[in-house]
Amino acid sequence: MSGSWRTWVVVGLGIAVVSAAIYFPILRRRVKTAAKIAEPSEEQARRELTQAITQNASDPVVKVKMFWTSSEDQSALAPVTIQLALSKDAALRAKQVINTLLAGPVDSDLRTLPPDAALLAFYLLPDGTAVADFSEALATSTPSGIQSEQLAVDSIARTLEANVPPVKRLKILIHGQELDTLAGHVDLTQLFIVDTKAAQRGAVSLEMPVKVAVPAVSSANVSPTLPAKR
Amino acid sequence: MLDPAHGGTDPGARGAQGIRESDLLLDLTFQVRRALEAQGFQVLQTRSGNENPSFDDRSTLANAQRGAIFVTLHISSTGLPGTVRVYTMPDAFASVATGGVIGWDHAQAPYVTLSRRFGDAVQGQLAQRFKGSPNNSQSATIRQLRTTAAPAIAVELASVSVQDRADLDRMMPGVGDAIARGIADFRPTYVLPGEAGARP
Repeated sequence: MSGSWRTWVVVGLGIAVVSAAIYFPILRRRVKTAAKIAEPSEEQARRELTQAITQNASDPVVKVKMFWTSSEDQSALAPVTIQLALSKDAALRAKQVINTLLAGPVDSDLRTLPPDAALLAFYLLPDGTAVADFSEALATSTPSGIQSEQLAVDSIARTLEANVPPVKRLKILIHGQELDTLAGHVDLTQLFIVDTKAAQRGAVSLEMPVKVAVPAVSSANVSPTLPAKR
Repeated sequence: MLDPAHGGTDPGARGAQGIRESDLLLDLTFQVRRALEAQGFQVLQTRSGNENPSFDDRSTLANAQRGAIFVTLHISSTGLPGTVRVYTMPDAFASVATGGVIGWDHAQAPYVTLSRRFGDAVQGQLAQRFKGSPNNSQSATIRQLRTTAAPAIAVELASVSVQDRADLDRMMPGVGDAIARGIADFRPTYVLPGEAGARP
């Protein structure tokens, strides 16, 4: 009895070892494939995190005018019409068009914003002031220069103007902070005009909506006053 | 007032061939200064070595001069090599300070129209010398110009992407000459804002 019991145990263990030897490489392969799927690049991960709301199946597909660098004149912007599912909500719509702008045109040489930049947050105030908060890459990867920085800002402003009429003016933040300049030249402390037609009528001010009242003094006094020491 | 931008720890635009904007700008400023002095203008600079004064420090120097004009000099990262562009603050900036004290942050506001006229005069001269450059100045919201209480323009050469810095060196005397002539064209129309009839 004890001999046959021992034989059964040995046979059982033998089967276990053989099946493990067969199954182990298969398991290893499966783990590897799973790891490959679950391991997106850092960039992808960030995009997924920050661009959770991009397209909604119920949004109507409409024609959208995107402003990227002109293929004929690299110092100017040119509108490109594409089909995009856009929300009716102005703030969501603005997010969708800015994310599309960041994704860039088919010809990547014509992009106006660095490929590693992401839109972190977007707010639309009731008076039409939009606040767009971008990742640090917008400031660090935009080529330094008046032309390149102004094209970057203009592409955002013109694309918003063409597709999101409630946006009148734009404030650009970098990682939640107000920067002095985008990459050394273009001023980020001010608002940018989005609705150029309203601006021509004088209906859009570059002042921030909440501001401290300044005592009125004769307009003949044009000498600038130094800022208070911080 | 000539302003070679950047300097010190800020090299500005950098080209693949090791070209640094901040270094080239001192040579460009020298050429512009020479052309201006030849026309009898008194020239001051915001920096003459490898320092990096702040935007406000540079504006302070210009704003202390009565009847000055301000030219900030740049070399771009992008754009058609061999072209030169002049930028001034957008017209909308003029409306921010009407009817009150003009704060330091809006020092350029009363000068926007003058700056545009000055910019067009210089850009017109540049267009004659550098093919592919526009005929009129363009608007851009430039931090340095915002706090400057004088007719103020930014002049940007394209670009640090050239293979040989000699390409940029060759442009410099022409840029100097164009700016000097632009200033001479603009001078008769320069009337200090807020002081009817006062000529600098």
